[in-house]
Amino acid sequence: MKVGVSNLRVKYAGADTLLFNRLSLEIKEGEKVLFLGPSGCGKSTLLQILSGLIPHAVPVPMKADAKSIPTSSGVVFQDPDSQFCMPYVDEEMAFVLENRAVPQPEMEGLIRHYLEKVGLTFKDPHIEIGSLSQGMKQRLAIASMLALEPDVIFLDEPTALLDSAGTSDVWKTIKLMNAKQTMIIVEHKIDEVIDFVDRIVLFDSEGMMIADADPISVFSFYKHKMKEYGIWYPGVWDEHAKEKKLPAPYVKGKEILEINQLKGYRGKIPKIEVQHKTAHEGEWIVLTGKNGAGKTSFLLSLMNVMKTSGKKRVMNKELKTIKASREQLAFVFQNPEFQFVTNSVYDELAYSLEMMEDIGVEQKVHQWLENYDLKQVRTLHPYQLSTGQKRRLSVGTAMFGAQPILLLDEPTFGQDARNTFKLLALFEQLRENGMLILMVTHDEMIVRNYGTREWVIEEGKLTVDRDLRRREERQHHAVDFTV
Amino acid sequence: MKRLKLSDILITIVIALVFGIIYKLWGPVYNIFKPFGLHIGDVIYGMWFIAGTVAVLLLRKPGVALLAETAAASGEFLVGSEYGLSVLLYGVVQGLGTELMFALFGYKRYTAFVAALGGIAAAVGSIVMDAAYGYVMDLALWKLLLLIGARLIGGFLLAGLLAYFLVEALEKTGVTSLIRPASDEDYKALDQ
Amino acid sequence: MQWTLQYKETWLHRLNPSFKLVFILALFLLLLFVHNPNFISNVTVVPFILVMFATGHRKKILAILMIPFLLLFFSSASSMMFFGQGTTTWWKWGIVHMTEESFFRGLHIGFRALNFALLGLLFALTTRPVFLFYSLIQQLKVPPRFAYSFMAAVRILPVMMEEFHQLRAALLIRGIKKKKGFARIMQSVSLYAVPLLSQSIRRAHRIAVAMEAKQFNNKERTYYYKQTLSRVDVYFLIYITIGFSLAYWVGTTFPYFDLTDVRN
Repeated sequence: MKVGVSNLRVKYAGADTLLFNRLSLEIKEGEKVLFLGPSGCGKSTLLQILSGLIPHAVPVPMKADAKSIPTSSGVVFQDPDSQFCMPYVDEEMAFVLENRAVPQPEMEGLIRHYLEKVGLTFKDPHIEIGSLSQGMKQRLAIASMLALEPDVIFLDEPTALLDSAGTSDVWKTIKLMNAKQTMIIVEHKIDEVIDFVDRIVLFDSEGMMIADADPISVFSFYKHKMKEYGIWYPGVWDEHAKEKKLPAPYVKGKEILEINQLKGYRGKIPKIEVQHKTAHEGEWIVLTGKNGAGKTSFLLSLMNVMKTSGKKRVMNKELKTIKASREQLAFVFQNPEFQFVTNSVYDELAYSLEMMEDIGVEQKVHQWLENYDLKQVRTLHPYQLSTGQKRRLSVGTAMFGAQPILLLDEPTFGQDARNTFKLLALFEQLRENGMLILMVTHDEMIVRNYGTREWVIEEGKLTVDRDLRRREERQHHAVDFTV
Repeated sequence: MKRLKLSDILITIVIALVFGIIYKLWGPVYNIFKPFGLHIGDVIYGMWFIAGTVAVLLLRKPGVALLAETAAASGEFLVGSEYGLSVLLYGVVQGLGTELMFALFGYKRYTAFVAALGGIAAAVGSIVMDAAYGYVMDLALWKLLLLIGARLIGGFLLAGLLAYFLVEALEKTGVTSLIRPASDEDYKALDQ
Repeated sequence: MQWTLQYKETWLHRLNPSFKLVFILALFLLLLFVHNPNFISNVTVVPFILVMFATGHRKKILAILMIPFLLLFFSSASSMMFFGQGTTTWWKWGIVHMTEESFFRGLHIGFRALNFALLGLLFALTTRPVFLFYSLIQQLKVPPRFAYSFMAAVRILPVMMEEFHQLRAALLIRGIKKKKGFARIMQSVSLYAVPLLSQSIRRAHRIAVAMEAKQFNNKERTYYYKQTLSRVDVYFLIYITIGFSLAYWVGTTFPYFDLTDVRN
């Protein structure tokens, strides 16, 4: 099945210019194509046009001189929590079969068949989708896409919201499917994709095609572009490590945090328990452990947002109330949007200062806009920022005072490479100035490169406390790139 | 008139279910106010009409107000409302009230004024239902007038102005660009 | 609605949802035309027994769910009792005017409200939304576009609850200067309703697009669950008929109130 457009142009409502001014593209049957480009360049829009979702389901103004859109296609989207309409696994699979008008008696067998194709074997597939891990949800999304028996498969950043384990899980699944179909892929983390695709199309920020060739050529000629666009390509961490020298043997400052017999409860159930721990200025402690182990609960207990027992002291001051915690600990939430309380970036930064009746608000805020690279967007509503900008703003809003400790809940989650490195640089600078950082993360590379100490949390208990020597054995983890 | 797309329906119902839960929680609030307050409590009754106005102000399409208010009532019913099935009938009639107001303006005006009228119309719907349902006409006259007055004010304030304020705040977040159709100018720009 | 409540499945869960809905609607209309307080107070027992003993839920949960019902009973009854019209005055104090007529009328309204509440709870506790919507499509010809949108929307609600908790924690940490009076209402709207609604609108939009990508349309479709009428529907019909008849017979033979129509 051939897919393509010629002379495509798209206009987003209210935008000044056209996207893809007269773009032409043709994809041959059975080809596996990867679209690459900076965020906002329109590659997902193009994918939706080629799949026919635009303008059929999403009425974006567009025109093309000619289009060949597959009559039967399947799409996997990025958000595991918003692509299902039914509560149970079997019901969601059945929904697709119902759409295809498959007779009811055949459904049960087919549901098992498609689930097996993505390695999901349940004794009884009547399982709540909500109980699956994010990676499993994406595999379910792939299974339900396969149940359409599509001629062309579209993957729209299927791993963007997954941690590294989930990401490789999903790509392993896709590779094992051994699909003969044409595949069109948008993906920002290309380590595992690059040896899978036949062709890469590279776009610039205006949606102009700047390269269209086999992976080896594109990768060797346009690596600088990939770096500029924040794409996670193989070896990106090595390059980053070479560029950004970190002071390896750090010096411990004075002790500022002491935790004693801390327990955090949700209702009557203890979610986290920490016996006795101390931490010092200039440490970067990474909190690791499985989802639901109690990492976020730990941070929330320190903030007194959860009911707690036991003691926590910062510089010998006990933290008993949220207010006391807020004055000592800057907290950056997992979902930055929930931290915003005003209608513009400027007001957002000024808010906490005004609450403290600080004078010289204007001056400080302007300095922050500069520091966090938000000057151009200072009048926008916080929700209208890009994901990277939102994250930087949330860091800014958290650090209104001179708090000595920074708590971060997966701050780099879902960020592209450029934003990730930018954020890490910001945190590293704060750490060098003596801040103590406690950071929840699933990113092994951050643990390895930036952490000075690791606390592992398992089933509600802090079980391991180890010093990390930054960057050791890094070469061991470099990804071999062969096609 | 434009047919509702799947995304219009789904968004309307999601908003409606959120309000459905608020409706359910609103029951005890209202019941505490009701016996003592000489029907002043009926001002807060207006909260029960808000889903229709919010949805139609957001999506700006025919049928949305009725769908939203009915869906909100179904949601309230499904979480075990103490008013039982009666909420469904009330929902339909109240939704119709709001819907009619926006229809009267040809689905072209989505101002605070029309929203307020929509809220009041829903309140009228609820009074009509009360008359059929609850011996309301047997109340002492001054009480009846108080009730009607409070109900209408409630519709005006909560289902009208508060709904308008909420939608305006939502517009600022940019979420409405997802759900409102693109303008003709945008289509024309493609041919230049 | 059954997301988290633990319960045992009973025969009431196996009723055809559309039948259950239409039947309860019919009872509802029937009760609207009942004006005999003896009958209506007796009839309350009929749904009460089912709710307590046949919904398969724990008694403690049931008790909690029924607390608002009492409040409703007193509030619906008292408003009519204390302020209604009537000729036989029992008590007058300022604007409060309680008459014999208004007292019984109030009591009647209270019992009727209680009946509606119990029937509604009965439905809610024994109906899985997915089965209800499948049945609405199959028996009552509701267009699939609406029914499936409902099912998808129901799925978003628990996600929203989780988001609500996160939002609350975030706002606590951020620290909010609380405003007073009317401004306080506006403040909670912008702090809570706006983020939660805008998130769910975007989520709903993405789900709708995903559903269309799965080729959901108005063409011919088959169904995974087939909803049919069965024996239990007949049992339900029989139980209610006998219950109501018994309530009527007891109410007319051994009346508690010497009054058969509250309208007079």
